[in-house]
Amino acid sequence: MTTTHDIVDAVVIGTGAGGAPLLARLARAGLRVVALEAGRHWNPKLDFATDERAQDKLFWNDERLSAGQDALAFGNNNSGTGVGGSTLHYTAYTPRAQPDDLRIRTEFGVGEDWPIEFDDLASYYEEVEQFLGVSGPSPYPWGPARNRGYALGPLPVNGAGQLMERGCRTLGIRTSPAANAALSAGYYQEGVGHRPGCTNRGFCQAGCTVGAKASMDVTYIPLALHYGAEVRPECFVTQLVRNASGRISEVVYIRNGQEERQRCHNVFLCAGAIETPRLLLLNGIGNSSGQVGRNLMAHTALQLWGEFDEDIRPYKGIPGAIISEDTHRPTNADFVGGYLLQSIGVMPLTYLSQMARGRGLWGPALKQAASAYNHVAGINILGDCLPYEHNYLELSDETDSRGLPKPRIFFSNGESEERMTAHADQLMRQIWDAAGACNVWTFPRNAHIIGTCRMGNNPDTAVVNADGRSFDIPNLYISDNSTFPSALSVNPALTIMSLALRTADKFLTSQRGTA
Amino acid sequence: MFHPANTIRSLLQTDLVTAPTREALNSRLNAPPRQPTFFSADEFALLQAVCDRLVPQEGREPSQRIDIASGIDLRLSENKSNGWRYDDMPPDGEAYRLGLRGFDESAQAWFGQPFRNLSPEQQDEVLAAVQALEAPGSTWDILPADHFFEELLAEAVENYYSHPLAQEEIGYVGMADAPGWQRIGLNNLEDREKKANSPT
Repeated sequence: MTTTHDIVDAVVIGTGAGGAPLLARLARAGLRVVALEAGRHWNPKLDFATDERAQDKLFWNDERLSAGQDALAFGNNNSGTGVGGSTLHYTAYTPRAQPDDLRIRTEFGVGEDWPIEFDDLASYYEEVEQFLGVSGPSPYPWGPARNRGYALGPLPVNGAGQLMERGCRTLGIRTSPAANAALSAGYYQEGVGHRPGCTNRGFCQAGCTVGAKASMDVTYIPLALHYGAEVRPECFVTQLVRNASGRISEVVYIRNGQEERQRCHNVFLCAGAIETPRLLLLNGIGNSSGQVGRNLMAHTALQLWGEFDEDIRPYKGIPGAIISEDTHRPTNADFVGGYLLQSIGVMPLTYLSQMARGRGLWGPALKQAASAYNHVAGINILGDCLPYEHNYLELSDETDSRGLPKPRIFFSNGESEERMTAHADQLMRQIWDAAGACNVWTFPRNAHIIGTCRMGNNPDTAVVNADGRSFDIPNLYISDNSTFPSALSVNPALTIMSLALRTADKFLTSQRGTA
Repeated sequence: MFHPANTIRSLLQTDLVTAPTREALNSRLNAPPRQPTFFSADEFALLQAVCDRLVPQEGREPSQRIDIASGIDLRLSENKSNGWRYDDMPPDGEAYRLGLRGFDESAQAWFGQPFRNLSPEQQDEVLAAVQALEAPGSTWDILPADHFFEELLAEAVENYYSHPLAQEEIGYVGMADAPGWQRIGLNNLEDREKKANSPT
């Protein structure tokens, strides 16, 4: 066993959207910080192939058990590993939440409000957008007016995007080029260096080879290293050791099959909405509320595919080129919250695998449908999801290769999610009909795991406070999608990063108070 | 070696493909035949028969057939996962063993023969019944037939369509992206995309 006698100011567990921005912020403030990352530190140019199979390595493939009526898929959906975490394979859609997303209970009488206001996030949204070099339209058609436009103009629109524009125009639905954290032109940031523009490679979800997509490994991680942070890849954290006063004094992890320990003054848990609660439950800590693993939410994320006469070649261009938020609060809604619409391009294996699961086609019917791949385009939604008693994570009796209990995740959509999905199904069919699609089919799914360590003002119903700090353990913070009190009607990555910077700033302010 | 123009095999020899991409695809193109290391010989032959019905390769020369079953056998030998499984399913290896037994059991119940001895039409009947939760046999009391079939089909499809020859079949050339893509709109093709594949 290796023990470092050094005591660092902070250990950050996980280097995705929740960990990396925070790591850079703490390092910039002069703190000694170490990030522990379960996965490898890749060199995209040398290590990444334009091949979905070869890129399996970006996914968290330790087995999870999926229960409930709408069992959640993991692996290539909803998880990531490697320095950069899930941002290595996110689509880089970076819409902001809208102010009413944070006040679901006030507006609808169910779900939960956030303990912070939109204005607490707005300046962080802007900072992250400018730092990453988000490409998008200015002004953006939905949400509050902004102080600044996006860093860069929108990315070019691919075939699926053109079709969504066509269908929506016919129906009177407003569309816009989306905001994407992929560069539409070369971009320079101090501490990071120059990143080239997007080459329209379309493989964002299998890893960007050129550095145009703002995954954490090419943005906040280099910035953190620039300010002196240390990143230790291939370190799997197993224990958070507390001292007599109840504070975490040491983090235990496995590297190369050996146990190592890092002493520390503070811990930031940023492992995502499955591994974060799993680690707390494994250690039996931070759970006086009984809420660790509870309130698990997943966006409604129905996808609708169709075939067109036009040659589309769905592997080209940023997959999510066109967006509409006209469905943010539909007038005829019989559900809570709302959703957004996005066009989607798709890599072949992802599409065909979904087709196998969703349509169950095999034999000649499979071959026939697969041969239309070059003519396929899709649209999908991302919509809010309420927290329910019946949706949660627990530790199972089955152990993984490390001898640790596998997590079991229960998920079933409620009435609100089913109604929202039905609403979206009907609308997307109209859009695709208007665009000229044939052989339309839908793939039911939920995406983005959210809310297993909810933040709030009440220690009886929340795991962390509005600053991300544990109610039980004063030197433990959580920064990732597990703290979201509601799911939001947008992709979560931008909000995770923004909240991470806010959590870091709140922590730094509190440290100055006690120094 | 000569390959017809506009095939993936010819593209792979050009600098339109990055080195890591070429390596990944060539390793599949040139994979040597292997003996099963997870399944028994009988189980493996049965799995091959099932995969032949799920993803038919009738038009392919024997030397160019894509060995779907070997990919499954290799994964199970290495105890690899895709990150999740249905909670009502046993671990993947056990599920496959049970499911294969179930195919034979259903075949016996309906046709008095093991699955491999059935005609293609009879085999399809059994497969369709398993998928629809209507297949006879006690195996399906302990193994959820719909979830097993879904997992098997998805893995077979992924193994097949990750192979360059199958990608060629559907006119996919997305791997040839080293120079990036300039023409990305509707009906807007690069020279290397010329071979349009029409759905009709």
